[in-house]
Amino acid sequence: MNVDSWKSQIKRGTLEFCILLMISKRPYYGYEIINKLDKWDVLSAKESTIYPLLRRLLKDGFLSSFWQETTEGLPPRKYYSITDKGNEYLAAMEHEWSNLLTAVEGIKGE
Amino acid sequence: MEKVLETYLEKVEKYLKRVPVSERTDILKEIKSGICELQNNGKNPDEIIERLGKPGDLAKAYLADILSEEKGVSWNKFLLVCAFYSVAGLSGMFIIPCLGIIAPSFIFFGAAMPVLGFIKMVDNVFNLNIPYVENINVCFNGIENFNPVLGFAITALSGILLYLAGRGAWKLLLLYCRKTGSIKRKLQGADCGLQDR
Repeated sequence: MNVDSWKSQIKRGTLEFCILLMISKRPYYGYEIINKLDKWDVLSAKESTIYPLLRRLLKDGFLSSFWQETTEGLPPRKYYSITDKGNEYLAAMEHEWSNLLTAVEGIKGE
Repeated sequence: MEKVLETYLEKVEKYLKRVPVSERTDILKEIKSGICELQNNGKNPDEIIERLGKPGDLAKAYLADILSEEKGVSWNKFLLVCAFYSVAGLSGMFIIPCLGIIAPSFIFFGAAMPVLGFIKMVDNVFNLNIPYVENINVCFNGIENFNPVLGFAITALSGILLYLAGRGAWKLLLLYCRKTGSIKRKLQGADCGLQDR
């Protein structure tokens, strides 16, 4: 059974939610986010998805960014941290998310 | 950084030519940083490039977001897309259909013209009054009512010219397709050469 197309639809909205959740805990840089998401097959995404997505969240004012030098001799990393607006957005998403879960559970339990 | 990876970044940059410099630099800096992280984790250049996807696709992922954030149609947006496609080689989107329409229609009307001219001449010379033939009119440089034979000569001549123009357009179309194809092949060759190093 091929659920790939459904999965990618689910992923699109969920990724944004998960990334904001992660960044709300501490600043992350892009590669770190990609690596962390990679732990879960359902969330794993490539650079071409994550970087533009981060950029959009930045432009929408949900995230802010800063460049930081590394100690390992690598080029500087671009860190993202959450803004107040981002926190509000995240709270609203969490609310909707739990609504969704309740709805699914409700239908299953019928 | 390896030459292949640098070439890769240069290609992405080309696709993003119309994105404001500060934003473009930031985008490329982040991609570069990501590449170095991947390298640092033991990925070889080929694996990295495969992961990032084609330069055009990566650039498109950024452009899609940049384009959707500005609502409506704007000159800037138009230039952004044009710059992308000028590199992506989508000029074919315009040239191929134009030549594709011109070539067969010129050839068709080039052939149809003398046929109609001939019918008109026969009709006139033998006074046949074939229905609808009165609607066929030879008009050259504002002058109408040529004698039937001259009229036919004019249609035949212009028919030949149209036909030749049509053939020319067709040849141009084939040439265009072959040329763009070979450019692509050449680029692919260059890529492989670099990867071998």
